[in-house]
Amino acid sequence: MNQSTKPMLLSAAGVAAALLVWQLMAVGKVAGEALPPVTTVFAALFTTLGTGAFWSSLGATVGISLLALALSAVAGVVLGILIGSFDPVRYATLAVLEFLKPVPPIVILPLAVLVFGPTQEMSLFLVAFGCLLPIVMQTVDGVHGTDPVARDTARSYGLKSPEILFRVVLPSAMPYIGTAMRVAAPAALVITVVAGLLGGGPGLGQSIYQAQSGGDYASLYALVIVLGVLGLIFQGATRAAERRALHWHQSFREVVH
Amino acid sequence: MNRTARNSLIGAGTPVVLLALWWVLSDQSTNAFFPPLRIILERFQQLWLFQHFQSDILLSLANLFTGFAIAAVLGITIGFVTALVPTVRWLIDPLIHFLRGIPPVALVPIFISLIGFGTEMRVTSIALAALFPVLIATVDGIRSVDQDILDVSRVYRLSRRERITNVILPSAGPQIFSGLQVSLQVAFIVMIASEMLGSSQGIGAMTLLAQQSFMIADMWAGILLLGVIGFAVNMIFNLVRRRVLAWYIGSRRLAKSA
Amino acid sequence: MQTTNAPDASVPDKNVPPQSRKKAMAQQPDSPEQSVPRLNVVHLAKTYGSGENAKTVIEDLTFSVEAGEVVCIVGPSGVGKTTLLKCLAGLHPVSSGSAAIDGRTISGPPPEMALVFQDYNRSLMPWLTVRKNLVLPLRHMRLPAAEVKERCDSALEAVGLTHAEHQYPWQLSGGMQQRVAIARALAYRPEILIMDEPFASVDAQTRFDLEDLCLKIRRDFNMTILVVTHDIDEAVYLADRVVVLGSKPARVLKVIDIDLPAPRDQITTRSLPDFAHQRTDVLSLIKRPA
Repeated sequence: MNQSTKPMLLSAAGVAAALLVWQLMAVGKVAGEALPPVTTVFAALFTTLGTGAFWSSLGATVGISLLALALSAVAGVVLGILIGSFDPVRYATLAVLEFLKPVPPIVILPLAVLVFGPTQEMSLFLVAFGCLLPIVMQTVDGVHGTDPVARDTARSYGLKSPEILFRVVLPSAMPYIGTAMRVAAPAALVITVVAGLLGGGPGLGQSIYQAQSGGDYASLYALVIVLGVLGLIFQGATRAAERRALHWHQSFREVVH
Repeated sequence: MNRTARNSLIGAGTPVVLLALWWVLSDQSTNAFFPPLRIILERFQQLWLFQHFQSDILLSLANLFTGFAIAAVLGITIGFVTALVPTVRWLIDPLIHFLRGIPPVALVPIFISLIGFGTEMRVTSIALAALFPVLIATVDGIRSVDQDILDVSRVYRLSRRERITNVILPSAGPQIFSGLQVSLQVAFIVMIASEMLGSSQGIGAMTLLAQQSFMIADMWAGILLLGVIGFAVNMIFNLVRRRVLAWYIGSRRLAKSA
Repeated sequence: MQTTNAPDASVPDKNVPPQSRKKAMAQQPDSPEQSVPRLNVVHLAKTYGSGENAKTVIEDLTFSVEAGEVVCIVGPSGVGKTTLLKCLAGLHPVSSGSAAIDGRTISGPPPEMALVFQDYNRSLMPWLTVRKNLVLPLRHMRLPAAEVKERCDSALEAVGLTHAEHQYPWQLSGGMQQRVAIARALAYRPEILIMDEPFASVDAQTRFDLEDLCLKIRRDFNMTILVVTHDIDEAVYLADRVVVLGSKPARVLKVIDIDLPAPRDQITTRSLPDFAHQRTDVLSLIKRPA
């Protein structure tokens, strides 16, 4: 009884202490106007939650993230299967993919803004570009890693190539794709925010930029809090979705990690 | 044998072919957005070798490494304390998990408003954003250290310090390195973002400025440089990882082939 | 080839290093502590949890191990043998009763004890080479470098792994890894060696080799050895006495003296009629409905 309540009490105390320190620093004007008190921030948060502009920004952010994620998932899996199924193609793309992998999409943000302008298309392009690569690479690994014995068995039972693809190759690549999606979904949100903040694309990123450049610090903090919650929801949702989709593959997932 | 030779030839040849294609196809390009590669490389040489080398490239890289180093040291230290001291864990766990949810780049505007546009802001943004991946990985790594290994170190009466440095740290090493790798990527992103948001120095700032003033070849040169740096930094990290975790990589390879 | 087997080790073996020999001399039966058993377990009980969720794993165990003895504990799987060893090693506190070494109650890992775990691939440090695995437990003893080297050399030689000292444990076979774990215990120079199903996951031939290694250690280093096993043949082959546990919760069914002649040998000892009798005694105790 006492044992199980102690951690929760301490957690509550930790959050309370952090808020208190924040409040004291703000009231003490440690950073001037730039650090508004907790109370002001939460008041701004509630005001913001009542505005239509906020909800349309939120909708834009979530919409762009999910749409771009879906696009890159479809394109990524198709590309991944193509690349993974043919050895010469795999070798041809390997070096290129390995070079592009550690290059974050923010690098090509200036180019995207140049071509598309500060638009929704720019954000979509940037997010899809950022999510595509990890999905392609994991799918290639998954397809390539399909147990050759399973593949040969299917062939010896007279299964046709499309059947082998859907019944043998894809299921065994599924955990890899699941891992890629788990990484890509939170990344999609982050890139959408980056595109809004630095490229002027629609959504919460842009709202944050406006709040900061307009000196509306209470809104700035309120929006960052909203993003924190949104980020947790994205992470939690993808984790749950992966678990649900791959519950039959528990052992395989160990290998993927 | 023949097949392997062909495959490695394809692997090495493709990037060369692609670059050659880019060079040839863009050579007569009049499209304002896609200038000839020849001109991009010319500008690359004029800009980065060595006119802005010290003022911008070194500055960006110094910020990146300082921020990343701070994040690594703090992240591993706080991770150890959090994992090993339950009271601390219960106190800060919810805070850590909330802060990790915030897209790292969204912290940059806050730091700009708090400490201005200077180097301190950039290093702080990089360090704080890069802190969470390594911190969380460290906590996870320590908490999944095998109970048998811990029992062994108690039976053989290792001191607390020996347990931490010779048992727990290496045992959590693989996970700490995964965290560090993510941290490094985050640090790189935030480095660029902190320069792009209202600063006039650094590679990111120069690249965005070139785009805004329609100096397209300069912008491409900046993108190229950032791409190369992103790749190189990650490659160096992998080399270090392969050295430090040689035992882990070797044992995994053996387990897989068995 | 085993030519001598002196259970009381009154003639120090030339292989026994000086320090260990000194310790061994101090434990001779003519010392003042003669009446106190080396390891004494009295009414030991272990319960996990409390209140309604309490689960009693060990109800009431009483047995003792004399200096220089090999004692095997056998019992059905899941009887709580590993829990018992963890209590003896000072890793878990006992719920009631006591375990003592030379009359001193065990409250934490005792300095004179080493433990060989069942799961060799989880008890060796995979990031250290074989030799460094052996050195790690010695570091806090602040021994001179020459002695550390000598201890490791002789331990590796005893288990026949001198050639593998610079390899990593995961590069070795299961039997070799378990020998590394034993070598680590030997280099530590414990007076009491406890082993938890040490040979359970190695092949049959390796198992015989490791059993003989165990007897050789006792002879060469004059160690007191306690082995938990679920293999009755192994228990009878190794032990001076076998403690038979019943479940559940664990309690001592009987302590059986094994009076097979020394030196023991995998072929001749196991084909003795007495061997068959004694293993039947143990087996009938375990098979009998509790």
